[in-house]
Amino acid sequence: MIWLTWRQHRKQALYTLLALAALAALLVPIGLAMRSTFADLGLADCASQLARADVAQATRETCDAGYRRFGNQYGNLSLVAVLLITLPALVGLFWGAPLVAREVEHGTHRFVWTQGVGRTRWALVKFGLVSGSVLILATVYGLGMSWWVDPLTKAAHEGRFGMIVFDLQGIVPIGYTLFAVALGVFAGTVWKRMLPAMGITLAGFIGVRAAVELLARRHYQPAQTQTFPIEGEGPPEVSRGDWILAQGVRNPDGTMIAEGARIQCPPGGKGPEGRVCGAELGLEPGAYNWQLYQPADRFWLFQSIETGVFVALALLLLYLAIRRVRRIA
Amino acid sequence: MSPTRGRGMDMVLETDRLGKRYGSTWALRECSLHLPAGRIAALVGPNGAGKSTLLHLAVGLLKPDAGTVRVFGRSPYDDTEGLADIGFVAQDTPLYRDFTAAELVIAGGKLNRRWDAALARQRLAQLGIPPDKPVGKLSGGQRAQVALALALAKQPRLLLLDEPVASLDPLARREFLQSLMGSVAESGTTVLLSSHLLADLERVCDYLIVLSAAQVQLTGAVDDLVAEHRQLVGPRHDGGAIGGVAAVVRASHTDRQSTLLVRTDGPITDPAWTIREVSLEDVVLAYLADGTTQTSHSEWGVPA
Repeated sequence: MIWLTWRQHRKQALYTLLALAALAALLVPIGLAMRSTFADLGLADCASQLARADVAQATRETCDAGYRRFGNQYGNLSLVAVLLITLPALVGLFWGAPLVAREVEHGTHRFVWTQGVGRTRWALVKFGLVSGSVLILATVYGLGMSWWVDPLTKAAHEGRFGMIVFDLQGIVPIGYTLFAVALGVFAGTVWKRMLPAMGITLAGFIGVRAAVELLARRHYQPAQTQTFPIEGEGPPEVSRGDWILAQGVRNPDGTMIAEGARIQCPPGGKGPEGRVCGAELGLEPGAYNWQLYQPADRFWLFQSIETGVFVALALLLLYLAIRRVRRIA
Repeated sequence: MSPTRGRGMDMVLETDRLGKRYGSTWALRECSLHLPAGRIAALVGPNGAGKSTLLHLAVGLLKPDAGTVRVFGRSPYDDTEGLADIGFVAQDTPLYRDFTAAELVIAGGKLNRRWDAALARQRLAQLGIPPDKPVGKLSGGQRAQVALALALAKQPRLLLLDEPVASLDPLARREFLQSLMGSVAESGTTVLLSSHLLADLERVCDYLIVLSAAQVQLTGAVDDLVAEHRQLVGPRHDGGAIGGVAAVVRASHTDRQSTLLVRTDGPITDPAWTIREVSLEDVVLAYLADGTTQTSHSEWGVPA
């Protein structure tokens, strides 16, 4: 079985490795350039310095300026990052969907399932080997991307929790890729033709990913709230890297006055006609900025939960696929 | 493995009221038959009659929806061990088209506990099949030979072939059947091969199963079938009993005269009838014509 699997998929494996090597050849130089710029701008120490409470105003300004310059230079790489999040889907399309569908479409399932190996074992070995290879692939990819996007996420205010960068790095690519492959395999056992199976895989992958990302992820842990006065130095810098889910300005009694806004007045500052800061919005004295957020240090917890969700979905789909394989003739 | 040829009562394949349904349509229904060991059996019926379904049930690809199927006394569905005794060549002889014949022989060795690779190589060498060319680039006849060689390398006790010659030209057909007969004659393997054309198989088979409209129309040894059927020509027949006739399979009438194809259960003594011997093809056609016509009138919404 192992020999057969290797013989059947060696060409595909070679192309996949070539594609990965090409991707690395493209991204590694960019990553190195980003890192050297990051160091030249003196941003390497900024994160730790800004995290301290007694950070000097001058340091903060230098760092912010550096981040801005870095962002101007490399910000458009976010577009590249958007392209990269499609990679797990591609693996699902080209490794998952054809695994059973191709056999059935060519009729070869009737050859291989009538030899001395039962089809349950065929499915277990085949799904296992492909999932295992994909697991290694996705781990390498995830670690590589963690290295690559590191400067970009440090420079961006939302940090590693950013919408796209969270999906690119760490261990979530493993979950996404396994899920994509399992979805492809399962779709292949239901539709039994490659093109429909690939189409369903793509649609299903985008649908589930979007649903988890937009609806579920923010609820993995109860969000924390943070408040700070509308007069003063501004939000404490520890909030850098936090994932802000909602923010606004509230009156002392808690009613939301300006949703999605944030107000910052200089200490003791007065408006043009001596009005209190924000009075024209209907803010009463003692109004405060409010934000609902997931703290930055929950990054790995969230990565683990999201990976767990997708790995569980993948296992469920593979189980269903094996059950379906037993009914295909 | 004891030789099975000669022990005529051994049943290789037995089905009892076997049925398989796709959605609401029965692909095979109330199918009861048995295939004695050592036979070369032809499974004949028009396209869509349920031949492939029956073979897939026998090789365990399909699970019955009704009744039972037994191969060597075992239920084949989900029975990996039983698969070792069954050689199967599916319709259109599907093989991994990018594999060479030599690689397919290796693959078979990896997939089967009992595997005679030397036999397969020898067959393929004799037939002049190139070992290092992808089988997708071989001719249809060569590909069918590769599939047959792989099925025989399992040293099966039952060989199931689904329309093995349908896509071959007449010469390749003959060569294929010749090489098949040559190899099973030595080993005593029971063979069940399907075709929508009786003419393809008539020369090689000694047992016949006729399927039509999802049901078994006729089954038995070829010699018996030919011996017990007769064509009667006589005065217009009104449906009354005729001495020695068990059943009228097919009747056609003109104003004065009836032509009947009948199954006999004794000598026909009524001198009004002229009795003629029939060929196997006459018998099969009579049973096929009986089975196929009823369904479609209502589907088309026209009176029968």
